[in-house]
Amino acid sequence: MKVLIVEDERKTADYLYQGLTEQGCTVDLAFDGIDGQHMAVHYDFDVIVLDVMLPGLDGFGVLKSLRAVKDTPVIMLTARDGVEDRVKGLRDGADDYLVKPFSFMELLARLQALTRRGRTQEATLLRVGDLQVDLISRKALRAGQRIDLTAKEFALLALLARRQGEILSKTVIAEQVWDMNFDSNINVVEVAIKRLRAKIDAPFAQALLHTIRGMGYVLEVRCDAVPSGEP
Amino acid sequence: MMGSTAGWLRRAIHMLRRSIAVRLALMFAIAELGGFALIGTALVQVLDHQLLRHQQEEVESRIAGMRYLLERGRSPQLASRVREKIDTLAETDRETRYWLWSESPDFLYGTDLPLVLEATRRQPLGMVSLPLGPEGRPMVVMGVDLPANERRPAVRLMAGIDSLSFAHTLHTFKSALWAFTGISVLLVAALGYWIARVGLRPVQRLSTQAQSIGPGNRGQRLQSPALPLELANMGASFDAALDRLDAAYHQLETFNADVAHELRTPLANLIGQTQVALARERGAQRLHEVLQSNLEELERLRAIVSDMLFLARAEQGARANRLVDASLAAEVAKTVDFFDVLLDEASMRITVEGDAVAPIETSLFRRALTNLLQNAIQHSPAGSTIAARIARQPDGTVEVAFSNPSAPIAPENLARLFDRFYRVDVSRPNSGENHGLGLSIVKAVAAMHHGTVFARSEGGLTTVGFSVAGADVRAN
Repeated sequence: MKVLIVEDERKTADYLYQGLTEQGCTVDLAFDGIDGQHMAVHYDFDVIVLDVMLPGLDGFGVLKSLRAVKDTPVIMLTARDGVEDRVKGLRDGADDYLVKPFSFMELLARLQALTRRGRTQEATLLRVGDLQVDLISRKALRAGQRIDLTAKEFALLALLARRQGEILSKTVIAEQVWDMNFDSNINVVEVAIKRLRAKIDAPFAQALLHTIRGMGYVLEVRCDAVPSGEP
Repeated sequence: MMGSTAGWLRRAIHMLRRSIAVRLALMFAIAELGGFALIGTALVQVLDHQLLRHQQEEVESRIAGMRYLLERGRSPQLASRVREKIDTLAETDRETRYWLWSESPDFLYGTDLPLVLEATRRQPLGMVSLPLGPEGRPMVVMGVDLPANERRPAVRLMAGIDSLSFAHTLHTFKSALWAFTGISVLLVAALGYWIARVGLRPVQRLSTQAQSIGPGNRGQRLQSPALPLELANMGASFDAALDRLDAAYHQLETFNADVAHELRTPLANLIGQTQVALARERGAQRLHEVLQSNLEELERLRAIVSDMLFLARAEQGARANRLVDASLAAEVAKTVDFFDVLLDEASMRITVEGDAVAPIETSLFRRALTNLLQNAIQHSPAGSTIAARIARQPDGTVEVAFSNPSAPIAPENLARLFDRFYRVDVSRPNSGENHGLGLSIVKAVAAMHHGTVFARSEGGLTTVGFSVAGADVRAN
């Protein structure tokens, strides 16, 4: 995934660059509106992360000249939680926005959602190590054993399996599984994960469902038996 | 010229609207003018009447003198005697004239006789005013018929006196009256203005007092008891408004302090932990843990800031805008579904009663429901049953409330449940779960849906809920 980050705040730009690069993205940086506009218009990106407050030319200006030429998905970053900002951003053709302070996981999830939009046809049988998740018959098997899951537990497992190897934040999980579209500080997700883990991991030698403290959860096969950061 | 008159008029009207003193002065003047007009008219009437009577008496006395001669005169040349007498009288009194008329030419006397005769006949008993005096001045004229006697035929005797002096008297009186009225109206207006200014001095004082109240001396109030009766009420209202503002200001101040306090704990943890970690050489594992712990604290800060921004937006009048008509029972069911694992862990049950369809912004509404239910679960003992109730109210709003068994909450605490950072259980501050904004957010969401919040504590049950408008308010 090729990403352009237009952000004048150096620290923000640096961590976004590092984080996204490590997630396997190819990242270009622009530190002001003029450069950002030039790069956005003249090169092709899969998605653009655009700050609103920029020197030279503000985010809206960049967006406007970009939209005059092409439809690259744009996610806007704003420090102001003003409704006007939001409306203006979306009307001018931004695809999504995030209000600072946002979490990196959230940004990652939004970027993936934006670039995934066009993607069709997903696998119906997912495998993570010896775990199989059949999305059609709604069954989960591990090492050939049928695992009995409630509907929500299955939905949670299916989400984690569909996006295996990807860290999913509690917010994303709550949104995808329960349709709770807001930040909540409730430990529902923790408890649900704990219960799911008891069913899919506890009886087996290798853990597949990992907690990344402070960030979220990931379903993947890990080579080291004792991953760091597990509680 | 027209323009400047209009401008002056506008300024005058503006002044009139603006100044109580000017208005009062003008009203005094108008009242004074009215009174004077009434009295003046009456006086003029009386004077006029008196003057007429006086003129009548004058004319009558002239006629009586001449009549005596005509009726009692024994002289054989009565006609010439009478004419001589009239001539002599006319010599001395130029303001009186006589006329005589008879069938016999001997008893005809005076110029303009046909005119006088005609006029007095038309007014047989009263006086008539004719311009027959010297230099055409007005005269009042009366006539009397004397029947024939043995020495003369029937005669009509007419006399007139110059009425100019009477008219003059009346005119002078009227002029004086006008002048006095004008002067006194001006005087009253000026006095009225002064009185009004003096009377309004307490208002000026009030204004000065009010001006001196600022953020520095918020406690200061207008001295309402010292104010005149008429202003005491206004002063009291003003003081009450100040009290309310002061309370809001105070709340804001404590709120700022609360925010600072809420942010201080995570910040202290972040700084302290990081300093400790960096004070010595640490292994990657240890640094990793510090970063994770930091991240947790930072997430807490972010959650507080996000919620604060949300509340600020609600307070600035943001309203729910992506409204859809939804079954509230279905929304409650969805929230209950979200909490399923938590309820199961705590062996709690939820009953849902009632339903209604209302226009809501689902993500906001769910956020409020989530906070309410979380609050109910947190304050219920394990194994209890929480009751959700949805009911349309007579006023058309729809109420959603959760009731949970709990120890009674004092009324003064109930009222504060929706305050930001307020916790009934003071011993559990900063519990990671809850930063004390949950119910404030419920309140904000209710306001965004044109609703309110309420809390009751009775019979071992605590009920906390909110309402939303039952129909799209914007449609009206």
